Amino acid sequence: MSLVGYTLAIFVIVAALATAMFRDVLSAIIVFGAYSLGMAILYTLLLAPDVAMTEAAIGAGVTTILLLLTIAKTTRPTTDRLFESIDVPALFVVGAFVVVLGTQVLPEMYAVGDSEAPVWSNPEVTQAYLEQTYEDTGVQNAVTAVLAAYRGFDTFGEAVVVFAAGIATLLVLKREVFA
Amino acid sequence: MIELLATRYAYALMFVLLGIGLYMVIASENLVKKLIGVNLFQTAIFLFFVAVAYVEVDGEPGGSPVVPATTEPAAGDLILASPLPHVIVLTAIVVGIALTAVGLALIVRIHAEYGTLREDTLREVRADE
Amino acid sequence: MGGRYGGEHGDTYTESQVILTAVKIIAPFTLTYGMFMTLHGADTPGGSFQGGAIIGVTVLMLAFAFGIEPTRQWLKNSVIVSMVGGGVAIFIGVGLATIALGGSFLEYRLFFTVLGIPDGTKWGMEAIEVGGIALIVAGVVITLFFATAAGFTPARYRSTPEVETADDEVLSDD
Repeated sequence: MSLVGYTLAIFVIVAALATAMFRDVLSAIIVFGAYSLGMAILYTLLLAPDVAMTEAAIGAGVTTILLLLTIAKTTRPTTDRLFESIDVPALFVVGAFVVVLGTQVLPEMYAVGDSEAPVWSNPEVTQAYLEQTYEDTGVQNAVTAVLAAYRGFDTFGEAVVVFAAGIATLLVLKREVFA
Repeated sequence: MIELLATRYAYALMFVLLGIGLYMVIASENLVKKLIGVNLFQTAIFLFFVAVAYVEVDGEPGGSPVVPATTEPAAGDLILASPLPHVIVLTAIVVGIALTAVGLALIVRIHAEYGTLREDTLREVRADE
Repeated sequence: MGGRYGGEHGDTYTESQVILTAVKIIAPFTLTYGMFMTLHGADTPGGSFQGGAIIGVTVLMLAFAFGIEPTRQWLKNSVIVSMVGGGVAIFIGVGLATIALGGSFLEYRLFFTVLGIPDGTKWGMEAIEVGGIALIVAGVVITLFFATAAGFTPARYRSTPEVETADDEVLSDD
C-alpha cells in the first residue's frame, strides 16, 4: 500500500470518527459525504473502478441529498455543544467487538492482495471468469459480464428489490405517484 | 504486530469502521444519525469485499478486471482483480441506497406522528400512550 | 409552487444565479457522461448501475437549481413510471424470450444459435444493461428523491396545507 493509501485510510477513519461525534446532524451528514468520497478513492486504489464510480455517485451524491432532504422535512435539533458525550457502555461493547476481531480474526486472514488467497486463485470461479469472459460473452469488462451474463439471475432479483424499495417508500409516505 | 497491520491494512481499517458504525447505531440518540451509522457499517463491509478481490504480485498491484480482447489468454498471464466481489458490492450499494430511502421515509413518518426524532423522547411518548 | 403537494417546500427554494448558471453548464455534460458510461460499460470500467445513477443525479441537480416543484411538473409522472416499470418489464422480457427460444432464463447465446443475430450474447447483455438496469436505477433514484422531497402530509393537515417543519436555514438552495 502506497503513501497515498495510508493517508486516505487515516482520512477515512478521521471522517468516520467526526461523523460519529458531531452533535449537529447537518455537520455529520456533510462529513459523511466526504467519508464516502474517500472510500470511493480507496476502492479505486484497490482496483475496483466500477465500485468506486457507483460509491461516488450514490454514496457521496444521492445518500447525502436524501439525508439533507430528510432533516429539512423533519427537524434539526439546535445545540450549543460541538461533540456528543461519549456513551461508555456502548464504547465498551464496541471496543470488545473490535478487539476480538483484531486479535482473533485478523491473523487468520490472507494478506491483502495475496495471489494464493482462495478467492483469487480458485480455478473454477475467478480464474474461470477471467479466462473465459471474452470467449463466452464478447465483452471485455469482466464485471459487466458477471453482472449481466454469468449472474444475470441475481441481478434480476436485485433489480426487483430496488423496484420494490421504490414502491415501499411511496407506500410509507402515502403517495400514489412517482413524481 | 506491525507486519500484521502492514499486510492486512484493509481488514484492520474495516474492523475499525465496523466499530464506529456499530457505535453510532447503539449510542446515537438521533434516528437520522443511527441511519448514517448503518450506512457507515455497510461501507466497511464493501471495503472487505473489495479488499478480498484485490491482487498484487511482488508488491506490484494487478489490473482492474478488464480482460484483453483475445479468445485464448495465456494461463496465469492475467493478474486482474476478481470481478465477482465487485459485482456483489455494486448491487449491494444500489440496494443500500434504496433501503436507506425506505428508512428515511419511516423517519419522516415517525416525526409526523410523534414530533421528535430523539430515541429517549420517543420512548417516553410511547410509554405515556 | 403549490399544486398537488400543498407547496410545503415552496419556502425552502431561493433562486441563486450562481447555482443556476453552474447547473445549466454542467447538466448536459453529466447527462452525456451517464449515457456514455451506460453504453460503453462493455469494454471499459463503468456500466449501467453507474450510468443510471449519474443520469438520475442529473435530474436531482436540475431540481436543486430550478426548484423541486417545477422539475416535478416538467418531468411527468408517466415518464418515471414507464422508466421503472419498463425497465423491469424489459429485463423479464429478455429472460422470458430466451425461455421461449427453448433455453433457460437469460441464456443469451440462443439469440445467436436460434435467431442468428451476430454477437447475440453481447446484444442480449446490452439490452439488459441499457434497457433494464440503467432505466430502473435512474428511475428509482429520481423516485426516491421526489418522494423524500414531498415528505409526509398527515391526514389532519391534508385539507389546509400548513406544515410547521421545513427549516429554512438547512436547505436554502434546493
